[in-house]
Amino acid sequence: MNHVGKKMAELSMTVREFYEKYKKIILAAGVILCILLPFFIQSGYMNGIFCRILFYGTMAGALNVINGYSGQMCLGVAGFFAIGSYTEAILSTRFGLSMWACILLSGVISMLFGVILALPAKRLSGIYLSIITLGFSEVIRVVCLNWTGLTGGTSGIKDIPAPTLFGFVFSRPRHYFYIFLVLGILFLICTKRVVNSRIGRAWMSVREDELAARSLGVESGIYKITAFMYGTFWIGVIGAVYAPYVSFIDSTLFSLDTGWNVLAMLIIGGQGTLAGPMVGSVVINALTEVLRSFGDWRMVIYALLILVVMWVRPQGIAGASNSVLAGVKRKKESGEKTGEEAEQ
Amino acid sequence: MSVLLEAKNVSKHFGGLKAVNDVSMNINKGEIFGIIGPNGAGKTTFFNVCSGIYAPTSGGIALEGKDISGFAPEKIARLGMARTFQNIQLFKYMTVLENVKIGFHIKTKTKMFDALLKTKKYREDEKLADEKGMQLLEYLGLEKLAATRAGNLAYGMQRKVEIARALATDPHILLLDEPAAGMNPNETVSLSEFIKKINGDGYTVAVIEHDMKFVMRTCHRIMVLNFGEKICEGTPETVQQDKLVNEAYFGEGRIARGEVMADGNA
Amino acid sequence: MEYFISQIVNGICQGSIYALMAIGYSVIVGVVGFATFTHGEVIIMGAFAAYYAFQFIGSIHFALGIVAAFAASWLVGIFVYKICYEHFFEAPRHIALICTIAISILLKNLMQIVFGAARKPMINIIKNKIYTFGMIQITKVQIIIMLTVVLLSVLLLLVFKKTRWGVSLRAISQDKSGAAIIGVNVKRNALLGNCIGSGLAGVAGFLIAISYAILYPSMGSTFGMKALTASVLGGLTSIPLAAIGGLIIGLIENIGITFTSATYRDIFAFAFLMIMLLIRPQGFASKKGGRP
Repeated sequence: MNHVGKKMAELSMTVREFYEKYKKIILAAGVILCILLPFFIQSGYMNGIFCRILFYGTMAGALNVINGYSGQMCLGVAGFFAIGSYTEAILSTRFGLSMWACILLSGVISMLFGVILALPAKRLSGIYLSIITLGFSEVIRVVCLNWTGLTGGTSGIKDIPAPTLFGFVFSRPRHYFYIFLVLGILFLICTKRVVNSRIGRAWMSVREDELAARSLGVESGIYKITAFMYGTFWIGVIGAVYAPYVSFIDSTLFSLDTGWNVLAMLIIGGQGTLAGPMVGSVVINALTEVLRSFGDWRMVIYALLILVVMWVRPQGIAGASNSVLAGVKRKKESGEKTGEEAEQ
Repeated sequence: MSVLLEAKNVSKHFGGLKAVNDVSMNINKGEIFGIIGPNGAGKTTFFNVCSGIYAPTSGGIALEGKDISGFAPEKIARLGMARTFQNIQLFKYMTVLENVKIGFHIKTKTKMFDALLKTKKYREDEKLADEKGMQLLEYLGLEKLAATRAGNLAYGMQRKVEIARALATDPHILLLDEPAAGMNPNETVSLSEFIKKINGDGYTVAVIEHDMKFVMRTCHRIMVLNFGEKICEGTPETVQQDKLVNEAYFGEGRIARGEVMADGNA
Repeated sequence: MEYFISQIVNGICQGSIYALMAIGYSVIVGVVGFATFTHGEVIIMGAFAAYYAFQFIGSIHFALGIVAAFAASWLVGIFVYKICYEHFFEAPRHIALICTIAISILLKNLMQIVFGAARKPMINIIKNKIYTFGMIQITKVQIIIMLTVVLLSVLLLLVFKKTRWGVSLRAISQDKSGAAIIGVNVKRNALLGNCIGSGLAGVAGFLIAISYAILYPSMGSTFGMKALTASVLGGLTSIPLAAIGGLIIGLIENIGITFTSATYRDIFAFAFLMIMLLIRPQGFASKKGGRP
């Protein structure tokens, strides 16, 4: 098993080297390929998968800022996703607001909830924070299910209007593909900038060793909250586009399973890197499609895959090696780490 | 000589344990101040109180005349106190340069907005962190290791990187918690030179140490703690001749009083 | 008013089941040192084990159900331990957590495949009777459930306080490396603790199946969350406080739905927990003194 792990590590190294060498060409080619994709593959089914890969990937990326870069453990993605989606759905069906305006509003509202939730993060650590976020996600779902006046309750919100741009109506998956693509690229560019700045370094220092970070003047509480705000904003944004994309939302779309799904993508792809969440999203979404023919066994295989990745490569397929997240491979050092954490 | 760091009757109790009890001291600007004492004397706890990791149970700490007791570590760091840790707390999966760049946190001002739009401030900050970081590493003779992962360095080097990281905050006072622990005699000598050098460049240094020779060679003034209480303070010579200190370290008796030792050495 | 009182009785009864689940949870977190998200599935596994034991053996004795539930969940506990914990004691904590989530998905779907996703009526093993004491009405099932929980809790306390096993378990829950130094086999005892916790959860599942008279594979996750919530209320590792947490959640839920609709049932626990954690980040447990 170690052998397999080593092989995989080597493989990822060569991939990484190759990538570093031809970075610009690869990125440009990738973007062009993405833009052209819907022209070659016109089926709505395939474009639906591409959309899923993109919006799940972006969401996993946003979660990555919270869980990966700043080293917290948020399990409540589905809640923020729901807030973003419902905000858009309600504003556009009731008040006729255009989706483009709602994108920002959804993001901001989701972010406000993020701040409220993150405030205790200053005091709470580890598992307690995870549980608060988990509880938050469930509370939001149950409220969406029962507050019939606002959210339509069990019957959900139907006929969410499709967005238009200069008279063009976004009505098919391949149209939405471009919205998700632009958002995804925008997200990656923004996140790359932030992560490579003073703020990103502060996040990572808090993740690696909070006490040392604080002794260097990093206000760990503030940076934990900033990470939450940044991540939840983007989750809300994705939710805002998701609502018109599916045109009908109800609370079942935002169950804990959705949250686990996004989390699994992040973990399997790898925390603490920009590429990780996207890789995870591609792998998981492709896999769930391939496994569709297995019927009930699909989720079983899915769960087994997560276990295998955790055993063979705990930092994920494209995970950060320059982090405490890298885990088992450097058993001794991380052992010290967890020991200290346990004491605290 | 102005007082830089002042502790007034500081006590820190953990339940019934009086880890630090009624300790007062002044560290003057520009000196190297040593804190010594046997194991469990409360030295590190005292440092932790000074740097804000613990709030004192009673008493107060003042940095440059400003009361800082009970402040959070990050706030104290901002006011000009940097420290290292007894069990080196580097970001060991990051490179040496990255470690130092995090040290520039309080010297840079980039906000989320600047980072998103790559404003002038962002570019300047990044340039500052990169250039000053390399300068700092050169100053400490670590420039060749800039791209090495901190956790992979030898022990002595890790100590130096930790000091470099602390210096990046441009502190008025630098607290070193057992910098010589685990070093061989050669490394200890070079560390002593190194501390004198940064002291000569204008940094005030407070250092906790076990190694008597090291302290005697390096420090201008020394405070001795035992069982959480201050038993002596003064120049290395005063401390060396102090009866209580010798008792604390060696117990009572002829050897402790130095009679036999003196004979033997003579 | 009578409705209110009967809700309190229901709350105590349900709370006692939650308490048992939470005790199991706290034993696991305390002894193994990791939080788990598999608890719900372990709970339902116990219920199914009892159900099939009744079907295949033919007897419908209450004790058989308990033994079957306990034994099956014990085995699941071994399985979970081997996959999620044994190799990850030294690794970052999120790895074990993710593994338990994966196992939870795995077990839930396997159960749906093997047992079928449909709701099954639980075999009626207790002839139900209603006793009335003044304004209080209580059913025989409720009495038996509460007695079982109390009995098992006392048994667990005896094991923890009086046996060698118990001493080792308590030792490793306080300090793993310290326990290892004085010769306690940490890994074996962690396995044992995980199994005991799982076994108790299984019994709780059996009690749930009796009290709701129904069982299906996906009902576990809600109960897993309740166990987690109750355990967190009690500070995660304290057994008596977890029990109190379980009782409180049972009460809050049942009193809560007298004021609102029953559909809100599941958020009372979480809402209460979130408020509690904001006020007291360490749950009911008193803040541990000394050095952090």
